[in-house]
Amino acid sequence: MKTLVLGLGNPILTDDGVGVLVAEEVRKNLPKDTPIEINEVSVGGLSLMESMIGYDRVILIDAFQKADGNPGTVHKMTLQDLIAISPTQHSASPHDASLVTALEAGQRLGFHLPKEIIIYAIEVDNVEEFADQPTPLVAEVIPQVTESVLRELHFEISNALAS
Amino acid sequence: MKRVTIDPITRLEGHGKIEIFLNEEGDVENTYLQIPELRGFEQFCVGRPAEEMPRITNRICGVCPEAHHVAGTKALDALFHVEPSSSVKKVREMFYNAFYVTDHTTHFYALGGPDFVVGPDAPAAERNILGVVHKVGVEIGKEVIDTRIRNHHVIKIVGGRGVHPVAGLPGGWSKAITNEEQEEFKEICQKNVDFALFSLKVFDDIVLANQDYVDLILADTFTHRTYYMGTVDEHNHVNFYDGMIRVTDPEGKEFAKYPAKDYAEHVAERVESWSYLKFPYLKNVGWNGFTDGMESGIYCATPLSRLNASDGMATPKAQEAFEKFYETLGSKKTNGRYEPVHHRLATHWARLVELLYAAERMQELVNDPEITDPNVRPIVTNTPDEGVGSVEAPRGTLTHHYWTDENGILTKVNLIVGTTNNNAPITMSVKKAAKTLITKGTVITDGLLNRIEMAFRNYDPCMSCATHSLPGQMPLEVVIWDSDGKEVEKLSQFTDNQRV
Repeated sequence: MKTLVLGLGNPILTDDGVGVLVAEEVRKNLPKDTPIEINEVSVGGLSLMESMIGYDRVILIDAFQKADGNPGTVHKMTLQDLIAISPTQHSASPHDASLVTALEAGQRLGFHLPKEIIIYAIEVDNVEEFADQPTPLVAEVIPQVTESVLRELHFEISNALAS
Repeated sequence: MKRVTIDPITRLEGHGKIEIFLNEEGDVENTYLQIPELRGFEQFCVGRPAEEMPRITNRICGVCPEAHHVAGTKALDALFHVEPSSSVKKVREMFYNAFYVTDHTTHFYALGGPDFVVGPDAPAAERNILGVVHKVGVEIGKEVIDTRIRNHHVIKIVGGRGVHPVAGLPGGWSKAITNEEQEEFKEICQKNVDFALFSLKVFDDIVLANQDYVDLILADTFTHRTYYMGTVDEHNHVNFYDGMIRVTDPEGKEFAKYPAKDYAEHVAERVESWSYLKFPYLKNVGWNGFTDGMESGIYCATPLSRLNASDGMATPKAQEAFEKFYETLGSKKTNGRYEPVHHRLATHWARLVELLYAAERMQELVNDPEITDPNVRPIVTNTPDEGVGSVEAPRGTLTHHYWTDENGILTKVNLIVGTTNNNAPITMSVKKAAKTLITKGTVITDGLLNRIEMAFRNYDPCMSCATHSLPGQMPLEVVIWDSDGKEVEKLSQFTDNQRV
């Protein structure tokens, strides 16, 4: 099974880059030769879908904003959860298509797309100002989310350590 | 006063909002396009080495990172007073045209095209790439994605990294194209030309063959007689990578032609209290409010504008498509130039003419012996001070202007991004469409709102906002408020137009 860890967000837009920071931490903590690919992108929609082609499982880490939210709260979601809440939230990239639409299009067109998408969505505070560090409440949860992602990769890590 | 809000705008990069205010009679009084402000970009850049700018600015926006990368790299050429070699220019132009192929393809098949391919009155849930796939077939849908993937591959190889390229250097490019890569790209370039020709045929078969669509394109609702801006080469042909900025007037005469570094002598910015985003206009015509015509300094910078501001296309098949475009839309030739086309919805067609040009230009470049020149990294020794770089971004002329101290540390930064050029025309187009389509007693339907959206969607607006907050698509929501500010009606495209 081919797994991709994908940090999503803009690394210079304060809290928006939190997913990218988690992906970097996961990379640092992964034993050598673990067969896991780690990537970071600041795109959505079709490009995001295309970056998942060829993988069986994708762990996506992204910033998440909602009204009356609590910055630093972490939500673990599935693609089905994403579909359920899509109509009321902002788009990943309204320039082309939402991720949900893009994935549906990709599947209909016969591309090999992941059967399983796990999403770690971190509630954020500031995505309006340019800065390369997140706000403290968001920065605080990076180790915890990194740990959760590493646990998702337990099987691959154990195999890599054993060999 | 009643208030109609389209919030946020579907498929518009950045979280924009359109508000339509109705008067007591139920007619449109005014409309406002509002874009939230992203703060602190200049402060973020000041104090950093200028060489980082092509890599920083390509993070501003998730839609056109390649355009920022190349504009930033060209600003570094000027800043460090170095003229890139002819092979460096060709490698950069190859990279840049690959980006154009992906971007224009995406707009036609996923963003603007669905209005025509699926239909302007089709349910919103079908006016997207899924609807297009359903209409034109799975094979063609696959070809759309394949076109994006193979050109993203070129971007990754030539730009040194996918999506957010890293190769731009002052006067150079960090990575040469190898002979093996050149051979691989040749095949990709041929496929691009075939795909662009095919896309123009799709436009012929689906749009031009349908009189209702042709009438929609020619409707006064979507027409403005403005000035046009675009970059042209020495023969006044469209060029995306380099050349002079040319401005033509609403009758088609050349009004100004200048190097990008002189932009401040030609373009001024109007501030309106209700908008964070400024409204650029032609300084030497003057601001005359949100009006069109010879007396108004409002100009437009889009695919349609680039065609209008040029004398033609530099490649043969694109030139044929250019001529067909003007002949079909009833433009006559005056002094060897076609009169401008002012119908904003024709921008979608102009975009496909540009797609063919980008594909043909890539093919010329890939067969050029200089494209594999290994010497693309000059040593730069001049002291930096100030530099301007510009390219034609898909959605308008993009200008980067940097100031540094003698060590190359940034002291000031100014960017005029593609869409900003079109802020005033978009505002005007939304107002005209709303005023024409909503009058006393009009029942507000999803199709009607979509036609108002079409008025700005043809500009391919992108508000340089790269927030990628989860999870999905933005809703189109209309709220009508009565004169006491009470909500009396709400319509949302994701509830099958049920009133909620």
